[in-house]
Amino acid sequence: MLGSAVIESIGGDQGLAMTLAALVTLVPGAALWLSTRPGQIDRAAVFSAVAGTWLIVSVFGALPYLFAGTFNRSGIGFPVVLADALFESVSGFSCTGSTVFGSHNLIADQGPGILMYRQFTQWIGGMGIVVLVVTVLPALRASGLGLIGAEAPGEGGDRLAPRMAQTARRFWYLYAGLTGLIAVALIAVGMSLFDAVAHAFTTASTGGFSTRDASIGYWDSVAVEMVIMIGLILGAANFTLHSRSLVARRPVHHHDPEFRGYIWLLTGATLVVTILLVDDGMGFTRSLRSAAFNVVTLGTSGGFGNATGPGSDGDFVRWAAGPQLILLILLMTGGCTGSTSGGVKVMRLIIGISHARRTLRGIRHPRAVLPVRHGTGVMAEPMVERIAGFMVVYGMLVVSGTLVVAALGTDLVTAMGGVVGSLGNMGPALNRAGPTASFVDGFSTPARMVLAFLMLVGRLELFPMLLMLVAPYRTLHDRVRSR
Amino acid sequence: MVGALAVCSGLIDLIEHGADSSTLLITGSGMGLLGALLFGRVAGPDKARPVDIIAATTLAMTLGILLVAGLYVMTGAAQRPDDALFEATTGITTTAMSVIDPTGLGYGLRFLRSGSQWLGGFAALLVGIVILPFFGFGREFADRSSSGGFRPLAPDEMSATRNILRLYIPGTGLIWGGYMLAGMSAFDGLLLAMSTVSTGGFTNGANEFADPSVQWVAIVGMLLAGSSMVTLWHLVVGRGGLHRQTGLAMYLGLHVTGVLLLVLLSTGIDLAAARRLLFVVAASVSTTGFPMGVPVGWPAGAPVLLLLLVSIGAMSGSAGGGLQIRQHRALMKLALREMARQLHPRAVLKVRLAGRVAGEDTLRQIVVLQFLFVAVIFSTAFLVAVFGLDLASAISAAVHATATAGPVRGLDGVMVDPTEWSRSVRLALLPAMVFGRLSIYPAVVAVAALLNLLRDKARVRRRYRAHRHGGSL
Repeated sequence: MLGSAVIESIGGDQGLAMTLAALVTLVPGAALWLSTRPGQIDRAAVFSAVAGTWLIVSVFGALPYLFAGTFNRSGIGFPVVLADALFESVSGFSCTGSTVFGSHNLIADQGPGILMYRQFTQWIGGMGIVVLVVTVLPALRASGLGLIGAEAPGEGGDRLAPRMAQTARRFWYLYAGLTGLIAVALIAVGMSLFDAVAHAFTTASTGGFSTRDASIGYWDSVAVEMVIMIGLILGAANFTLHSRSLVARRPVHHHDPEFRGYIWLLTGATLVVTILLVDDGMGFTRSLRSAAFNVVTLGTSGGFGNATGPGSDGDFVRWAAGPQLILLILLMTGGCTGSTSGGVKVMRLIIGISHARRTLRGIRHPRAVLPVRHGTGVMAEPMVERIAGFMVVYGMLVVSGTLVVAALGTDLVTAMGGVVGSLGNMGPALNRAGPTASFVDGFSTPARMVLAFLMLVGRLELFPMLLMLVAPYRTLHDRVRSR
Repeated sequence: MVGALAVCSGLIDLIEHGADSSTLLITGSGMGLLGALLFGRVAGPDKARPVDIIAATTLAMTLGILLVAGLYVMTGAAQRPDDALFEATTGITTTAMSVIDPTGLGYGLRFLRSGSQWLGGFAALLVGIVILPFFGFGREFADRSSSGGFRPLAPDEMSATRNILRLYIPGTGLIWGGYMLAGMSAFDGLLLAMSTVSTGGFTNGANEFADPSVQWVAIVGMLLAGSSMVTLWHLVVGRGGLHRQTGLAMYLGLHVTGVLLLVLLSTGIDLAAARRLLFVVAASVSTTGFPMGVPVGWPAGAPVLLLLLVSIGAMSGSAGGGLQIRQHRALMKLALREMARQLHPRAVLKVRLAGRVAGEDTLRQIVVLQFLFVAVIFSTAFLVAVFGLDLASAISAAVHATATAGPVRGLDGVMVDPTEWSRSVRLALLPAMVFGRLSIYPAVVAVAALLNLLRDKARVRRRYRAHRHGGSL
């Protein structure tokens, strides 16, 4: 916040508001830091702590928007302004990229500090989740996230270094390096320094926020889109693979079955969408460009748009229903485990399919012992069960979320797209909340709050948010009993 | 069975001096004779494997569809073979997305149309109560225990089939009587009763449900048809304990919650509108799909709610479609277990359903069933979207077809006429209907068996060619 306040002071007029927001955040932060001591906590408390931290960060992260009056507009009261600020903050930290900016409230009207702060929230959120996923959750064996260790049995488990802190530090270096590379590449293809750094933040984090109202469509450049696509694919790949590639001094990604599946998925989806767009009357080159960009940006949970305006080639809500359905499936799939992307993750999908095949073969051969394979390895049964459980919970959240959002006045496709996109941290939804529209147009204020909650649920791989009240409940229950 | 149905239809047509009687009687008799001949001449295997029985179920349903479609073509009820195939599939699978105007049909064909749904409903009961528990999965939930001296529904395969008929035929008669008491003619009442008890949903006129008393009979009929046969059997044999059946409570709770939510979401609801909403909810939960107009203040969330109810479906062991309530209960308990496991990773946590501990294999199969259910919906939605439906209609049509839940309701609450869809869209929906009616697994197993057969044949042919080639050298 302080850094953004400096930028805003130089190039905008809300420097004071942002500084104030930074100070207001600093005081309770410092108080908490000084008044607490590290100690042993149980599993329920870990979930509560993780979820609580993300909630508190999101709430304080909304302060710059509130103090700068970013979402003030005529005809709406403070609760809606507060909800919008919170939505944008959650969307930022959770790397979702859904936005309440739109024709009623242009990104172009914002100062550089606010814009850079918005991009930076995604960068922080992106690494936050990688560190959480790669270091903390596997240690808890939570939600099938021991996957990372399971996929590389020869490498000694899920950490790159003996200590958790060292692993986290190594990931930060990787992440910062990737961000720097993307920024340099974006400058090389013609972006300004400010835009390049801002977009590097949200590309490496597969976030999707942009400093332009038309997102990447503003540049209307194949080169820019290529850099963004490569950056997103790298951001959505398992960071462990990047690290191993650096150690081995050659790419090792192609040895990983999940990465191979992920690339096949993106390639296949791009081809099918291209064919369907060509069939719909769009020229081959335009179809390929629109298909590739949107498949990659949604398949990696990036959420950038290359539409130059409503109804342009990249505006996928104007496409036929077939390609849109493929995008909807990609919204659910997400990238690889141990990456900054959201969604179900490719590895869970591969194991889910393998599990289904095994079960069906079991009907033909009831006495056969059929393992679930991933690559050349055999998955442990508890892991398969955890993945199946995760997918069941995910499916239930999609269904119940869609029902709630629809009940709050949204049509079926917009509601389903919004829920799937939020839970998968994807960004744009379908129909009335597409790449050229604002979430204000597609969803009522209560529906946006539901979506914001789902963003955090999805970002934290479901369980920390769903179980965050267990520890406080237990404490309360114990106190009541002791009295 | 299709032959017998055709003969019955022919006889009814003959009594009413219809034009299709000779075609129906001759073709039906031919089918019956051929069936009897095949049954007598072809010796069954000494011991059939479960996978063979499951695959044969799919084959039988496919054959039934083709025979009924043939009857539609021969009688001229459908102008094109694809229309006949669609009508036959939507009949046998109890989906009821009709493309034939029943008012233009004779008595015999109308009976054939509703009768195909009655047969389809019976087939669904066989799959749910006999085929899957005895040869597939979920054996622990088959009602086999005679504890307390009460007769179970499904002590073995043959008894289960007999007991299903003991409930299914009187059930049809009961609903028929209800419709006649509500003022319908005997013939129309019988047709509607057959469509009600099978959760089929075919109607024979535009205003069949205009009368409130007919609506009430239909509501009760749909509630019964969507209930588990095990529950109904316990009621009949006086076993009691219905209040302890969580599945039944959830089934009834779905109706109550659905109506309450629709009332809360809608505007301008009076008692008549509330009754219509109950009708709509019962038609959705039981997957019967009888058409009914909706109140004027139709909210945006209503179609999503109905779509959810349709995909949840009726009780397991009923003629209703959807993923069914037991499967949903299992999934919910699995979700809760998964959350508990996050907090206690080493705890051994069992899932109990219907008073019994569900086996891990059964749970695994239920999870895969959900996976396949969603996969069928998405692949069908993709196909029909490619063939021209908009996204909302594509998803809605795919869900309705897979849940065998009858005509699709548009986002504005108005029923969509399938004749407005292109032929490719209609054909693309057919596999989903068959998969849905067979509770997914048997159809998937049959497809896998067919693929294996083709692969083995190709392999044998390749080896034979290679052998010949090698020999000539």
